[in-house]
Amino acid sequence: MKKILALVLTLTMVFALSVPAFAAEPQVEVFWYEESDVYLSTVRAELNNELDALGVKYNNQFAGTDQAKQLDQIRTAIYGGANLLVVNVVTSGDPDTAQAILDEAGDIPVIFFNRAIGTDGTDNEVLDAAEAACFIGTDAPEAGHMQGKMVGDYVVANYDEIDLNGDGAISYAMFKGQEGNVEAIYRTQFGQEDADAVLAEAGKPALVYFDAENTDKYQVDLDGAWSAKAATEYMDTNLVTYNEANGNMIELVICNNDGMAEGVVASLQKAGYNIDDGHVVPVFGVDATDNAKALIADGAMTGTVKQDNVGMAQAIALTVQAVLDGAAPVDALASLNDERFTIAPDCAGKLFVAYAPYTGE
Amino acid sequence: MANPIANLQRISAEYSQMDKKDKRRFWTDGILNNALYILMLAFCIYTAIKQPNFVSWGSLGNLIVQVAAYLPMALGIAGCIVLTGTDLSAGRVCGLTAAVTGVFLQKSDFANKMFTSLPEVNGWWIAVTLLTVIAIGALIGLVNGFFVAKFSLHPFIVTLSTQLITYGIILWFFALNGNNGQPISGLSAEYKDFVGGELFRLGPARIPMYVLYAVILTALMWFIWNKTSFGKNMFAVGSNAEAARVSGVNVFWTTVLVHTLAGAMYGYSGFVEGYRAGSIAASTGLNYECDAIAACVIGGVSFVGGTGKISGIVLGVVILRIIFIALTMLGVDSSSLYIIKGAIILCACSLDMRKYLVKK
Repeated sequence: MKKILALVLTLTMVFALSVPAFAAEPQVEVFWYEESDVYLSTVRAELNNELDALGVKYNNQFAGTDQAKQLDQIRTAIYGGANLLVVNVVTSGDPDTAQAILDEAGDIPVIFFNRAIGTDGTDNEVLDAAEAACFIGTDAPEAGHMQGKMVGDYVVANYDEIDLNGDGAISYAMFKGQEGNVEAIYRTQFGQEDADAVLAEAGKPALVYFDAENTDKYQVDLDGAWSAKAATEYMDTNLVTYNEANGNMIELVICNNDGMAEGVVASLQKAGYNIDDGHVVPVFGVDATDNAKALIADGAMTGTVKQDNVGMAQAIALTVQAVLDGAAPVDALASLNDERFTIAPDCAGKLFVAYAPYTGE
Repeated sequence: MANPIANLQRISAEYSQMDKKDKRRFWTDGILNNALYILMLAFCIYTAIKQPNFVSWGSLGNLIVQVAAYLPMALGIAGCIVLTGTDLSAGRVCGLTAAVTGVFLQKSDFANKMFTSLPEVNGWWIAVTLLTVIAIGALIGLVNGFFVAKFSLHPFIVTLSTQLITYGIILWFFALNGNNGQPISGLSAEYKDFVGGELFRLGPARIPMYVLYAVILTALMWFIWNKTSFGKNMFAVGSNAEAARVSGVNVFWTTVLVHTLAGAMYGYSGFVEGYRAGSIAASTGLNYECDAIAACVIGGVSFVGGTGKISGIVLGVVILRIIFIALTMLGVDSSSLYIIKGAIILCACSLDMRKYLVKK
């Protein structure tokens, strides 16, 4: 009985094979690396609105941080009649992954967004070779540079207040979102390097990582999810050993994103910092999510770099429209006339949405 | 069950002899025992009506490709479930072996090649790599099996530990030689050909070589399970370890070998994974065991132990993949996919246990 039913089950797929099926209307498939990323959720909300306004049929698919699963989703969507793919890759910074997606897509145009598909220009080759692909994102190092400068400026202006133990050096903690992610690597590097450059210019000593034993000079979300949870757990643990009573309190915190910054603030608040009349340990993030803006308004967080979710969603939606109207993705990018967007100087298929510092002013 | 037509005739003959009460029971039992398949059939018909593309050569090819990718791990983990255990380390073992495969088989002229001293990729070197990763998988499986058998630890605990240890090794491995956690890419064309070369075409869908390998592995596992004394011992230990011991089965070695064999299968999964994802990241393999365990359970490999069939596992993987493909094509949010998958596993397990309870 079971075997017969199983047979029928597979046969149903084969039976109606003669029915030719073509999706007449445009069908846009949007692929996300996972569903709970805070910043991308804000992009998604905007993008859904924009695509609703365009009146196109679209679906959101989430890969749960699994690149192979995303490729399965992409292949399935293609056989399901999708004619435009908007892809937020899981394995960022790797042109081979992008190439694998393009191979699956064939003639179907692909708009990559947010997560970079190559480091140091390795993505240009893939984008230049592909006829129907483009990338809409941010210039990966820019957020790190901007955050570093913001941290440096703030520390120079408030040096003595930040230096809790008065030893003349600022000890800092750094939280990295994910190993092997380009954005995370650049933010971790430049967030501290550029701050040190500003400090050096002002004649101040460089930042000192709070834990001399840790040669990485960062703590990373081991699940690669850039999560508040990971940051809170690290910070809770750190504060057991590094606190004011021991004279080695962490005096500054730099985070790869606002989610992690929120986690750090939560941990500090449990320890009596960053609340109404307590000392404020400056915490910096990236993304300018609504929660982070609220924390900055309350004075519990110090600064973030605004990653423009509305601009990102609009850039994608405008490109989607242009491509559906028949333009090649590269030409679609070129037709976007907006001061928030710039075409990468070294690749016509790459559009950058500008970052902006945000300290609540 | 050898001949479905004779079987049907026999059932219809029996049915005509039944009285009214038995007839009603025949139908309710029949429907309940096959509820999952009946629901799936209805679901497929619904999907085909809503999304005609679901029923096409390309779609069927896509199903075959995905089943072939998910099957080996399920075949491996099924042995652990037959022993009333489980294996949580499967995904990470797959991730580790995928990383080793990637590093061994990077293009020789690739700028970011991790170990430049490795030989040029050719047929021999691919064979060496395949054997190496299978050995690595088997070794981790051996560790699992040893601790389960020697110290009577629950496999949940043992494999949870090896899962974490393996992930640690993966992170360490990705940081080697200044790789700094970057994904491993630049896989050689020879490797891609070996795993993903075109076997044949099904409409627009390319059927890659690894479909053939999956078929071979399924046949091999069927043979091991059904035709060897090791396979028989496995079921004996799974049904009742004490009884098996008394009747002369070496429970220790059976347990160790089942886990080792499972590890070898994860090693093979890792070998294929690099091709499937285009490159290998540290997160490759995360939670892969969940799908494999779910497929086994749906296919009737019971956690009660001692029951399960290779055909059931194949069916379980097919059902999970059909759900994935259908919901993706219907444009159902993946958020709902989790809910539906969870509900199906719960339903499958309950129906499975119902049969077991009725027998009792």
